[in-house]
Amino acid sequence: MEHVQGVLSDVRVLDLSQGVSGPFCAKLLGGMGAEVIKVEPPGAGDVSRSMGPFLASGDGQRESAFFLYLNTGKKGVALDLESPLGQAAVRRLAHDCDVLVESFPPGEAKRLGLDYALLESVNPGLVYTSITPFGQWGPYAEYKGSDLVAQAVGALMCTIGMPDREPLKIGGETALYTTGMSAFSATMIALYARDISGEGQQVDVSDMETISVAQIHSSIHFQFGRTPARRESNLVAAKDGWVSPGLETGAPEGTWPRVCELMGTPELAEDERFATPEARRENQQELREVVGRWAAGLPKEEIYHTLQGMRTITGYVATVADLVNSRQMKDREFFQSIGFPGLPDALYPGHPVRIDGEIQAQSRAPMLGEHNREILGQRLGYGREQVEEMTRQNGKQC
Amino acid sequence: MNVAALPPALEGLRILDLTQVAAGPYATLLLALMGAEVIKLESCSRMDINRGNAVPRPGDPRVYPDGEPGERPWNRTAHHVHRNINKLGVTLDLGTERGKELFLELTRISDVLVENYRASVMERLGLGYETVSSVNPQLVYAKISSQGATGPERNYGSLGSTLEQTAGLASVTGYEGGRPLMSNETFPDPVVGILAVGAVVAGLRRRNQQGRGCFVDLSQREATINLMGEAYLDYSGNGVVAGPMGNRNLEAAPQGVYPCQSEDMWVAISVRTEGEWQGLCRTLGRPDLAQDARFASTETRLRNHNELDRIIAEWTGERSHYEAMHELQANGVAAGAVLKGSEIIEDPHLDARGFWDAVEHPEAGRYKQTTTPWRLSKSARLPSAPAPDLGEHNGYVLGELLGLSEHELGELERAGIIGTVPTR
Repeated sequence: MEHVQGVLSDVRVLDLSQGVSGPFCAKLLGGMGAEVIKVEPPGAGDVSRSMGPFLASGDGQRESAFFLYLNTGKKGVALDLESPLGQAAVRRLAHDCDVLVESFPPGEAKRLGLDYALLESVNPGLVYTSITPFGQWGPYAEYKGSDLVAQAVGALMCTIGMPDREPLKIGGETALYTTGMSAFSATMIALYARDISGEGQQVDVSDMETISVAQIHSSIHFQFGRTPARRESNLVAAKDGWVSPGLETGAPEGTWPRVCELMGTPELAEDERFATPEARRENQQELREVVGRWAAGLPKEEIYHTLQGMRTITGYVATVADLVNSRQMKDREFFQSIGFPGLPDALYPGHPVRIDGEIQAQSRAPMLGEHNREILGQRLGYGREQVEEMTRQNGKQC
Repeated sequence: MNVAALPPALEGLRILDLTQVAAGPYATLLLALMGAEVIKLESCSRMDINRGNAVPRPGDPRVYPDGEPGERPWNRTAHHVHRNINKLGVTLDLGTERGKELFLELTRISDVLVENYRASVMERLGLGYETVSSVNPQLVYAKISSQGATGPERNYGSLGSTLEQTAGLASVTGYEGGRPLMSNETFPDPVVGILAVGAVVAGLRRRNQQGRGCFVDLSQREATINLMGEAYLDYSGNGVVAGPMGNRNLEAAPQGVYPCQSEDMWVAISVRTEGEWQGLCRTLGRPDLAQDARFASTETRLRNHNELDRIIAEWTGERSHYEAMHELQANGVAAGAVLKGSEIIEDPHLDARGFWDAVEHPEAGRYKQTTTPWRLSKSARLPSAPAPDLGEHNGYVLGELLGLSEHELGELERAGIIGTVPTR
């Protein structure tokens, strides 16, 4: 099998983070070739291991889809960070790492003897990436967060939803994933600086600042005198879902008459309500009705391909099922089938960055403590009894 | 806090920026704030569409300061002013032979080229990856396209608003049981911009490793699909097609946004753990709820969510969103005011952290600029500098960097290859 060295194949990442953003950051680094050692508390492991949805086997085993997806390619070590022995082991791992990713509440790492100031003294080249809801300092630093809270305080959701109803978040945990991407990019920048200067540093990434950067209209439009508001979407119903035909300002000149022909209403090409992009925008309600009569009889993807073929900027509301079956995704081999002991294979989205056309293969997420012996025993040289002691919590061995 | 013992991390790097609209400009804006020199390349016949029309038409959706397009509208749209800070503005008509030559000269002195066209545009201009990398084998070529550089849809166009749809986000955004809704923030654009920074730096690292440049292929659609990875495992493993859930979450109850004392004022609350639930009951002054069997677990709270929502709304209705947020957080409950554009620029936390930069734009006036979603403890970030006027830095880039004489610049201007005023 052809093996391509990743951009980060010389980089080792120690992932102490839990949940969504930190693990996603470490996964993105791992997807570029870094070795990622994930440390979880013995017993329950990463909190995401108990977050649904779950993949289940026939005999009662269940694994979190979040955990499986967010931790591909990592080696799993279970360590009790409350015990001095466990802390010492993490400090030794940090000594040999290039990047550390953590998501402790501010101050917690210091209590555990794992803060940047301390680790910097043993490993000056360490890039120490801290990911929290509100950042390492400031009035809200101690505050708790969630995906919903991030979309609220980042002024993202104030414009989503209907004017007469409550503001609405984008579904899933998308804000937290975005923070993970932000931490990935920041870590890459700090690594680049380290490659040049030899010096590591602490990287402070928060949900609130990430989403505040991701609101690209609300703050600037308000300052320029326009108050953004919640509104209905411009979607049109197709036979099996929704499309945005993109015939307002997105269509190139000459396309509209061809679309009228296609819709079987050539007389509309002359209709001055729709003759120019500005007119179509002005009369978009009527435009939606006209196009809607045509769209209602056709599958959404057929409309998408037909109108894109005429160089309009058309969209269709794809579901996860549509995307798994999309010919574009298949051609790019974007989704990868990955197994996990005891479970049937599942489809995972691939890494979002390709360099020189390489598709990095992902391997599955680790079982809790799966690599204890390899990392703590073989690599750090702890004896079997020590390994057992540091990987135990409340008497429970994992 | 910043010690800034190191120079800006990307100092000394030069980026040739052909991007427009949002995802690409956002990426190069962030790269510029981290120290890279970004040359924003446009032409007088094809400006970045962020600049709007040379002469705004009736019903033009562009936003100008106080609704006034002014004498040079293209230099003062909200989108341009906000998305193109810290860049050098250069015009060059790539449809002409001389324009192409100068473009290739610029690639020779650049470390990175970033573009976000449909796959075939650069090839059609005769300026595709093979051509530019033969001129500068060290060049990192970053393509931030809608669909990626390959595949049957590689020439399809998109905007952030259509990517939300084609990458699945719209299918999970909406009120429960309702139709799909859009972010109205073209959310995938800034997300991809943020991710593309890491992708470009990865390309630079590859260049340093192998001693030659590389081709970085970032599909905006694939990047956006990554934001809901778990849903693909759920579908392929369980056959579940994710749909809209409003503001709710199967792992948190109660979770929602609740009305506060003024019109259109809301606070977001998420209760995930037993400790947070106890904290919520304490905050509401309702210890009885903590004993109520209907609300004993996340599972039962999900079942009785509407009743709980009514109780919480009574409490939030007597407070401002910030008051509710601070009281709840003091009791260990994840909560946040639903901030508007008018409020986030005054938020005390972001203010204390120096998140906003005050910018005095010569053509658009004074405003507060978003900066970076990260801070590095040692590498300095540059202060925000106003977005360039069209062709503002032609003299510096083409004259000083490429060594063209005043006379040659004048010739180019007369031939319409460079300029400072849009031609259409």
